[in-house]
Amino acid sequence: MTAAAEFISVSKRFSRRAKVRTLAGLAGQWLRGPKRGPDGLLPHEFMALQDVSFAVQPGESLGIVGPNGSGKSTILKLLFRILRPDRGQVVTKGRVGGLIELGAGFHPYLSGRENVSINGAILGMSRADIRRQYEAIVEFSGLAEFMDMPVKDYSSGMYARLAFAIAAHANPDVLLVDEVLAVGDAGFQLKCYDWMARMRTSGRAVITVSHDMYAMAASTRCLFIKSGQVKAHGDARQVIEAYLTDLSRDRHDPVLETNFIKTADGVPRAEIKSVELLDGLGRPVTSIGHGANLMLRFHYHAAEQVHSPIFALTLFHDDPRYPLNLPRHYLFHVFSGPAFADQTLKGSGTVEVLVEDVRLPVGCYRAKTYLFERDGVSPIFVQDGVARLEVDRPDWSDGRPLLEHRQRWTITSHVST
Amino acid sequence: MSPMSITAELREVAGARGLAWMLASREVRVRYKHTVLGIGWALALPVALMLVFTFLFTRVAKVDAGGLPYPVFVFLGLVPWQLHANILSGAARCLTDQRNLVTKVYFAREALPLSVVLSALVDFAVAMTVLAALMAWYGIAPGPGLALVPVVLAVQLALATGLALVLSAANLLYRDVQYVLQVGLQVWMFASSVVYPIPRTGNLKWLAWLNPMTPILDAWRTCITGAHFGLAPEFGLAALISVVVLVAGWRWFRRMERVFGELA
Repeated sequence: MTAAAEFISVSKRFSRRAKVRTLAGLAGQWLRGPKRGPDGLLPHEFMALQDVSFAVQPGESLGIVGPNGSGKSTILKLLFRILRPDRGQVVTKGRVGGLIELGAGFHPYLSGRENVSINGAILGMSRADIRRQYEAIVEFSGLAEFMDMPVKDYSSGMYARLAFAIAAHANPDVLLVDEVLAVGDAGFQLKCYDWMARMRTSGRAVITVSHDMYAMAASTRCLFIKSGQVKAHGDARQVIEAYLTDLSRDRHDPVLETNFIKTADGVPRAEIKSVELLDGLGRPVTSIGHGANLMLRFHYHAAEQVHSPIFALTLFHDDPRYPLNLPRHYLFHVFSGPAFADQTLKGSGTVEVLVEDVRLPVGCYRAKTYLFERDGVSPIFVQDGVARLEVDRPDWSDGRPLLEHRQRWTITSHVST
Repeated sequence: MSPMSITAELREVAGARGLAWMLASREVRVRYKHTVLGIGWALALPVALMLVFTFLFTRVAKVDAGGLPYPVFVFLGLVPWQLHANILSGAARCLTDQRNLVTKVYFAREALPLSVVLSALVDFAVAMTVLAALMAWYGIAPGPGLALVPVVLAVQLALATGLALVLSAANLLYRDVQYVLQVGLQVWMFASSVVYPIPRTGNLKWLAWLNPMTPILDAWRTCITGAHFGLAPEFGLAALISVVVLVAGWRWFRRMERVFGELA
């Protein structure tokens, strides 16, 4: 069986410099002369892809994962013949098409109907194809009554639906999909996934680039690429695992923000020195599963007296792998409220809160601590980025994520100074 | 991607003609949308220029229009010249203006310059209707040479298409091209027999031989009005130059096409 799409030791060089040239710039280049380094690259050049090989058979899907700027989109552009390799060979069989740029060539002043013809032609459909498929395209888009409206008056969702409907009927043999599924509502996305699955079972090769690891796990195989080089290639789950491990290794934990009220000596009046994350049995953890108990231990130091202290901690969802599309990215909040209303802190100690049955969306979280006094309106101490917590893949059958969690607060030790 | 054979490349270009038509019709529809006169604007420039040059060369200075009424003479220079100039200036910008297409979707890139040629032809056809009225007014009947008009048009389009391919790619390399072209077109117009005839004798005769536009414009006049302008050998040379420009222009376009995705 011959591959529908194949990369044979493909390398691609890019320039960091602006590519638009003027005669004046060219004259300067001639005068200076090119200085190539030992790797054969000019100083402003770099390898966008290095010796990349893979093959996708008809009926297979390949997911490409990797950090931003690693070369994923370059691979798609090479397959699409928008770019040509500097070394190696890109072989494709049949028509290459897909969802790289939805609505390419749409003209805002023309009607939906006119744009179907133009976009279809750009995607390689013949006039007869377009005429034959027109009704199906309109039906799929669900925009029958808007076809005579100029697309500039479409909502962005309508625009995407029409563009997708055309692309879906262009009938390519090799289908490229680049993150476009991030647009549109859930219903539209489901339609997209459905259609991609159908394309695959009908013998097309599907190549997808996405940061949505759930979607990528459904691929036949995955390719993990970093800095233009293949790091892993093979079974989808193993490759994704390798990618996620690599991601967490690269993460660093900077303290993002610290703010506090000072004493006359310039030190914080009171501060939360650190926060420990523990499981229900008091063992330190960096990640928790769905429905687990979580214990947070605050280490505080009060240089001056703090009356009726209030401890709080917020977990911000901070994970590009799992975009949540929430208006604000905090999901988890503990707040001691009136628990210590009759206490006065001075010196060092620890405060613990036990949170039961933590159900949070999967991903990495960043912790921000707050210490308030009495009224709790403005904090006397705030620190962002004090800890990180990873929430493992949830078992959805177990229930939905909770935004309110049961919490039990106690002062566990206190040494007065 | 192994290098394609020329026949495969030709097949690819032929496959893109539907797209070229589609892009041309988009261009024409958008150009005159929301205007009161609509496509009537295609008449405005040639008619205005005809009136200006008629005043200039019948009242201010006299030129020998080869026995034709000067308005007919100049109109038959201006309208084909406008076709030529519109193709070249449109082509220079066609790849740079559509960079979202060039960098996001693959299709035979020739479709873009070809669509410029086609949409310029629409304006040309509209402007030519005025010529019929003008000839009727002066009582000039077209001669049997009218049958050769397709040949003249084909030679002119071969030249313009070849240059369009070169200019579109060159402007991606150096954005200076579009500005140089504006200057070049003005000079070229006055070096061709657009508003006055170019003498076939004396110091300037080489202008008529080397510049293919002069024999082409004179051929329009000869074929449509039956008046005698220029000679067959000059037109033969112009046709040869045009074909060479078309083939060489296309080959260079194909060679550059590999890097369009990076340049646009």
